[in-house]
Amino acid sequence: MRIFEPHIHMFSRVTDDYERMALAGVRAVLEPAFWLGQNRTNVGSFVDYFDTLIGWERFRAQQFGIHHFCTMALNPREANDDRVNQAVIEALPRYLEKDGVLGVGEIGLDDQTKKEEHYFLAQLALAKKHDLPVLVHTPHRDKKKGFQRCIDLVRDAAFPLQRVLLDHGNEETIKITRELGCVSGFSIYPFTKMDTNRMVAIVKEYGVERMIINSAADWGVSDPLMVPKTMVKLEQAGLRPALIEQLVWGNPVAFFSQGGRLDVARLEHPANIDRRQTFEGNSVLRGQDPDA
Amino acid sequence: MNVFDVQASLRALLPAERFLVFEELRTQVAAGGVRALQIALPALPRKIGREQLPPELALEGDVSVDLGAWRACDAAALELLHVAQAGDDALRELYAHGDIEERAMVLRSLACRPVSAGTVALLAEVQRTNVQSHFEAAICDSNLVARSLGRAGFAQADLDRLVLKAAFLGVELVRLFDVQRHANPELSRMLQDLATEREAAGRAVWRDTARLIARAPTAGTLARLVGGLEHGDDGTRLAAAEGLDALLSRERSQRTELHHYLRERLPREPRAEIRAALERALAR
Ligand SMILES: [Zn+2]
Repeated sequence: MRIFEPHIHMFSRVTDDYERMALAGVRAVLEPAFWLGQNRTNVGSFVDYFDTLIGWERFRAQQFGIHHFCTMALNPREANDDRVNQAVIEALPRYLEKDGVLGVGEIGLDDQTKKEEHYFLAQLALAKKHDLPVLVHTPHRDKKKGFQRCIDLVRDAAFPLQRVLLDHGNEETIKITRELGCVSGFSIYPFTKMDTNRMVAIVKEYGVERMIINSAADWGVSDPLMVPKTMVKLEQAGLRPALIEQLVWGNPVAFFSQGGRLDVARLEHPANIDRRQTFEGNSVLRGQDPDA
Repeated sequence: MNVFDVQASLRALLPAERFLVFEELRTQVAAGGVRALQIALPALPRKIGREQLPPELALEGDVSVDLGAWRACDAAALELLHVAQAGDDALRELYAHGDIEERAMVLRSLACRPVSAGTVALLAEVQRTNVQSHFEAAICDSNLVARSLGRAGFAQADLDRLVLKAAFLGVELVRLFDVQRHANPELSRMLQDLATEREAAGRAVWRDTARLIARAPTAGTLARLVGGLEHGDDGTRLAAAEGLDALLSRERSQRTELHHYLRERLPREPRAEIRAALERALAR
């Protein structure tokens, strides 16, 4: 079964992770632009990071047959930092037109400040303008209130809910989001926040409609194999394979296809950067007489 | 420069509706310039496609390009760069902030543009890249590297480093048009050192080594070429035989000694193609 890992920060991971993910069935990853563990002090650091996500990181993934996509944004943590916030917003439009950029994210709230709300709304407007869905990071502290606030802001902006992925959910937030029409994301971690057994219980109760799961693996303690590990648990709990496939492939592919850039047919085959394999033997070549 | 007619090529290659998309983009970019190109370029592989152009050697002035290495989107990018009147600054900026595909398209376009300071700057970029598709897009399947030699910032040592990198990556020499003409003893030394290092590690040596070092011998070259005649790998033996032929075509002082080894090998050589090369060398 193929896996679309819809939230992982490969920038922070080693090639062993790519190899293990590919072996576990991960065919595509989506890497949201986020905070790098400490604040950046100038906009150039963001631009270089964005260029790395669409360049070097994509190459790294392709070496292991994995298609790499991303979402671009000013993250909610650094939305609070006046050294960079407005300049990043101004740098974003060009990146939101890149073909491998399938959404705006991670936007949302972290400490739930006024500035975070201001840049959340500014980026909802950008998503509308560039016809993209949004990946929303929700606070890890005071989560329930933060979730509700994110939803209110989306509604005030009249942003279509089917284009919103509210991520880092749990047993409490699913009660709020289930009937909204947005997609509910669950980040599965090794020890904290949400684990595989709790995820199985959530799926048993609510099904897989408009749900996605991810590892959100990053610079901290996290596990890039959390999606395949959760799949095993779901199968052992008796969930039908078709539903598991919908959860780890159909749902994220459908959500991130909304911007019209995701070429699903290309996901049928592993990514491969080595053009020579198709190019050899397909040329007049090329050989000019060396002594001519 | 008009190395090939992009519009005619794309019209022949693409389904009508996709060709129409190309024409629309062309009109937009002609009107909107480089800013419009920044938006249009990333979508070209998806919107125009990745089909390979038919193999054909395009020749115009001092430019030669193998179009068989080009994809529809590469050709479209070349045309859009042209109608956007993208100069050096635009080219470098598009490369710097381009995704993997954009960078490859920008680099491939260099082969069909006049050599400029921007060309030299981008050649320096690919000398450092680990993305092999980018190295190949800039260096292979055209005579860009040979054509750039002598430009400010691109001296013989810069060309040598690119060829060494090609050897390191295992890119075929025939894809580096005209580079053989710029063989020199320092490059031969670098290639021989690489070969020795690979041999010490039990790894494969770049087969084209013999073809280049034979054109600019240095200490150890003759022994390497003669030794190559006895190699178990057909490609390496062929390169050695062709190298000796090239060497004898210009340098006859060691003709007697070398002919001795060629004659000794000839009756034992199982491959017709290699026997032919040995015979050519013996006729020198
Ligand atoms: Zn994240």
